[in-house]
Amino acid sequence: MTQPSASTQRASVSARLADIVGERHVLSRPSELLVYNSDGLPGYRRQPSIAVFPGSREETIAVVRLLAEEELPFVPRGAGTGLSGGALADDIIVVGLHRLKKILSLDIDNRRATVEPGVVNLRLNRHVAPLGLLYAPDPSSEAACTIGGNIAENAGGPHCLKYGVTLNHVHAMTVVLPSGEVVELGSRTGERDGYDLRGAFIGSEGCFGVALDVTVRLTPKPQTVRTLLADFTSVDDAARVTSAIIASGIVPAALEFMDGPTIRVVEDSIYAAGYPRDAEAVLLIELDGIEAGVDADLEVVRRICLDGGARNVKVARDDIERAKLWQGRKKAFGAMGRLAPHLIVQDAVIPRTKLPEILQTIHAISEKHGVLVCNVFHAGDGNLHPNIAYSADNAEESKRVHKAMTEIMNACIDAGGSITGEHGVGLDKMGYMESIFPASSLNAMCELRSVFDPGRRSNPGKVVPVHSCKEWHGVKSARETSAATVPPPLAAEPSRPVAQ
Amino acid sequence: MTTEAVVATVHESVDTRTPLRICGNSTWLGAGRPVRADKTLSLQSDSGVTEYVPGDLTLTARAGTSLAEIQHVAKGNDQWLPLDPYGSESGTIGATIATASAGPLSATFGLPRDLLLGLQFVNGSGDVVRAGGKVVKNVAGFDLSRLLTGSWGTLGVITEVTVRLYARPRSDRTFVVPLTGSLVEQASVIQAMYVALSPFALQLLGVTVVRALGLGELPVALVRLGGNEAVVDAQLKALAKITKPGEIESEVWGTLRELEGSAPSVIRISSMPMRMIGTAARILAEEVPGVYTTIDPRRGVMRVAAGIESEGSEIETDVVNFDDLKSGEGSTEIIFEKLPAELWSRVSPSVVADPLSRGIKKAYDPFNILNPGILGD
Repeated sequence: MTQPSASTQRASVSARLADIVGERHVLSRPSELLVYNSDGLPGYRRQPSIAVFPGSREETIAVVRLLAEEELPFVPRGAGTGLSGGALADDIIVVGLHRLKKILSLDIDNRRATVEPGVVNLRLNRHVAPLGLLYAPDPSSEAACTIGGNIAENAGGPHCLKYGVTLNHVHAMTVVLPSGEVVELGSRTGERDGYDLRGAFIGSEGCFGVALDVTVRLTPKPQTVRTLLADFTSVDDAARVTSAIIASGIVPAALEFMDGPTIRVVEDSIYAAGYPRDAEAVLLIELDGIEAGVDADLEVVRRICLDGGARNVKVARDDIERAKLWQGRKKAFGAMGRLAPHLIVQDAVIPRTKLPEILQTIHAISEKHGVLVCNVFHAGDGNLHPNIAYSADNAEESKRVHKAMTEIMNACIDAGGSITGEHGVGLDKMGYMESIFPASSLNAMCELRSVFDPGRRSNPGKVVPVHSCKEWHGVKSARETSAATVPPPLAAEPSRPVAQ
Repeated sequence: MTTEAVVATVHESVDTRTPLRICGNSTWLGAGRPVRADKTLSLQSDSGVTEYVPGDLTLTARAGTSLAEIQHVAKGNDQWLPLDPYGSESGTIGATIATASAGPLSATFGLPRDLLLGLQFVNGSGDVVRAGGKVVKNVAGFDLSRLLTGSWGTLGVITEVTVRLYARPRSDRTFVVPLTGSLVEQASVIQAMYVALSPFALQLLGVTVVRALGLGELPVALVRLGGNEAVVDAQLKALAKITKPGEIESEVWGTLRELEGSAPSVIRISSMPMRMIGTAARILAEEVPGVYTTIDPRRGVMRVAAGIESEGSEIETDVVNFDDLKSGEGSTEIIFEKLPAELWSRVSPSVVADPLSRGIKKAYDPFNILNPGILGD
């Protein structure tokens, strides 16, 4: 008997998926699939074979079970706003979860909500805001990104400096494992003994299964919020002031840094926030809590800024001014589209005391390679986002950009940092995993993944390089996807600017 | 004891198939947990702060370092680790993470999982594994730090821990609020505090505990307000609108932790905060000699400690009437922390019997030599 051809097999799988979710929710024509061939990091392109969009919990389980039965690898995907190439499917099936967007229950008194994975972060926040509550993690893509994607990446955002990342705000999840089995992780109503499987699942980048519902912790809205903009004529001064604020013990709700090139790009764009164009750095600092306490902290922070060389410290007078100051920060990556068609963004984290030193190093590296590095980042956490706008169609420029980015990452690693603070490893940073973890750690991660997904079919070829995994050498799907394990760090493929 | 020595001990145990009992300062040996081990691996001598960068508010210590030593070192820079598990400060950071032990500050500053940045452990095959890092934000790779937290030494021997510190508050004051009036009135006071305050700690204490602490004859709420002076003053004003607080020495927290920590039996019951608040007044007023009840309404956790006063007063599941909590919508989780050894087999089924937990145990400790039985496995 002859093997069915790839296209016959694809048609048959598509038809069976369509039986579950309906024909209009399965895409298999290459032109239709183009939309799903990248995420928020446009340097990588991978074309999925099929995209399927279940519309309910039951359909999701049925889809995952069918894929298990057929032993087919797949990639769970939320809104595709990720910045690590993590949601890309290389000729395998994308399971898109954006149709699962119900807020299933809301418990105001106990400050928790249970939502489906496709609920958009900002929608949840708009839903609970009138009740005096908020969902704290606020990635810059909050207007589009989903809670399921936030779980996969253990997403952060500016306000996680004070409030913590996704991990700190999730009570429980129902998950369908790649085998099709449905399990509860954590506890909706209390605290549970045993291994923290919920903690292990959060940040597993789609490799451990698909969340069907998530019970999140809601936080009471702070009584008072004050937003300050401090501007500096020296990057170094701003960096030292950042370290000084952290060392003072005050925990701002957010402490964001934008350098001169970023300020000017933002001010040239439709997101202009009124940042002083001649500044070499601004710090956007937010303090929140009880009014009297916030005002006292504000004076301390203002003093640290002025003593540290700030030209001016401006306090937003009202919500409109505050929103404007924030818009410039949150849309900064989008504004970079004005500089060049493509953008590469890093996510390294460094010890906060090393900030002045690292920013000097980044500057030296950018000069050496003749590239323009813009720095816009979560300074309070030491979470850098150096980014370079460039044209991927220019091979020579791409090479220089790539070299500069590699040197910047290595400098951050040498400073005792991490390769990613909130974007995840995905495809993009897999090549650096061996620089920060010994083989034993990578193997322990592989072993954990194998428990959740013995066939290694959920988001294969991501996070941990296959060759780090002792027991996977003989696994069929590992071999099949090994081509994706060492990605070209900067694929010179035509792409689009980051849209967030 | 060094990491190398731990590796050597684990290798030897693998070769001879000798199960190990892992401990820090031996605090938990009194928990009666049914560990089947022939040899004890103590991390107590593996102590000391190995890296402390005050400007980064991060600290790395060997697993056998006592909480007291960490607090002492941090205090030199006006910082602290806001982790106050029940028991004494002589407990080690390794054991605190391994058992995920938390105290009254956890509703504000987080559980051990929330304060942990990274760790090093030796798995059951003798491999040295590093998880997480030393920076305050990190999503590189799968989260082995959270996995090890609360795993009671069954997945690996924790040898080093990195935690996040905070600046000591400029003002840190403690108030006692007697809970008087009808049960309904008490519940409304508790609820008002839950809604209106953002204290460092809020604990409701049953009559037996109150008496042992010399705080009177009525159930009370202990409220710890911290922050800058303005915050504490504003919170105190808000508290005074609800009830009549009286200031007491903050040493009461240490006394409470040590008192509770000395109990041979501790059960932890958790539920939704409002459900806990609704039943708190009745439970706190209930007097069972030798049974100490404390409730953290924000975490939704009640701790019932027994056997402190008389050797023989062992805890049974029916000592305190939990029916109000168990009935109705939603569930209640019951965790047994410490019990007389003979009771374990009766009350505690394995908490790691599900296929995922079993798979993880098998991967990390294939020869079942690390604390076998401690989680009822």
